[in-house]
Amino acid sequence: MDKQVVFKVQRYEPEADGNPHFQEFKIPAKRGMTILDGLIYIKENLDGTLAFRSSCRMAICGSCGMLINNYPHLACHTQIEELRSDIVTVKPLPNLPIVKDLVVDLIPFFNRHKSIKPYIIHPDTKEMENPTAEFVQSPQALEALLQFTYCVKCGICISACPTSASDRLFLGPQALAQCYRYCADTRDGGEEERLTVVDKDHGIWHCHLAGACSEACPKGLDPALAIQLLKRRLIIQAIGLGRKKQPASIVTPPAEVKPKIPFPEFTAKRTE
Amino acid sequence: MRNTYLWLAQLVTGVLIAVLLSIHMVLMHLDAILSFLGVDIKDPTSWHSMIERSRETLWAGLYIALLAIVLYHALNGLRNIILELAPSAATERIITWTIIVFGTIAFVWGTYVPIRLLSG
Repeated sequence: MDKQVVFKVQRYEPEADGNPHFQEFKIPAKRGMTILDGLIYIKENLDGTLAFRSSCRMAICGSCGMLINNYPHLACHTQIEELRSDIVTVKPLPNLPIVKDLVVDLIPFFNRHKSIKPYIIHPDTKEMENPTAEFVQSPQALEALLQFTYCVKCGICISACPTSASDRLFLGPQALAQCYRYCADTRDGGEEERLTVVDKDHGIWHCHLAGACSEACPKGLDPALAIQLLKRRLIIQAIGLGRKKQPASIVTPPAEVKPKIPFPEFTAKRTE
Repeated sequence: MRNTYLWLAQLVTGVLIAVLLSIHMVLMHLDAILSFLGVDIKDPTSWHSMIERSRETLWAGLYIALLAIVLYHALNGLRNIILELAPSAATERIITWTIIVFGTIAFVWGTYVPIRLLSG
């Protein structure tokens, strides 16, 4: 695939210049090269002032969310070849304030995430603070929320959401999906606290079910489904249907068992 | 739960509008089809038949209900759109009260004639 690809990168420094503008860079693209590799090539060889955020390079940390050819992607998870174009446009994620070039300010995004209390709330505070055992959860109960635990908080769903584009106070698909993830957890007892956070103007009822969040999510999650399921929970609570669930009780962890197959000895010994 | 109740009412009024507006459309504008089916309601849009209908409790009740439902559905929807496009606490208060006042005036104005006719 070795060929020259033009990267049109949006440059913007709020303190220095007024308007965002594009700068073009020619990159020698190879098979398997990602957009992030291209940006690293630019930073190392062409322009060291280019700012972008990245960390793990394997779609786990969620740092490198960008608008690539006008579609939100993780730069490390998008190969240049798959775009089937000799021109690659790279812009920062929309619906979030820009810090510099491709770096967006994620503080408002994380504040919204924090507002829905993204942790297990259990009435047994003593056990929560000093755990002696584990809260019971069946594999079936875990399955109901498992996909939503894979959220890497990259902000791509927010940048794809049409409501977030028009309503800057909207909680956003990430926070709403995580609200469902914790409310649906059988170990959790904080549903009422969370539902009061999402049942507000600019809360869950401003989601118009465009489904763009689910389409854009690089981890294959379905935040739109979580939002619909959360809406169902709210309606059930509002009309007084449904039983109040009791958070899972604790069980002592199973006693240590000897593995049937003995753990192999290390063949390489450490030498001092 | 305030927003959930408002949204639930939006859904319920949407369904009720579909039912009540269908009745209205069939009786007012599809009289040719009704006469073809053997139901003769004469000239439904004339002044006399309108006054006559408004004197009947069932018809007057239906129209007052339709007016209330349409006003709620339309104005609450408009409020949501405006709040989404201009989100701020100050706008929210102004928009909510403007819409409540406008809705109340429109409802009182719209129900004045049928209520006068009903009370004789």
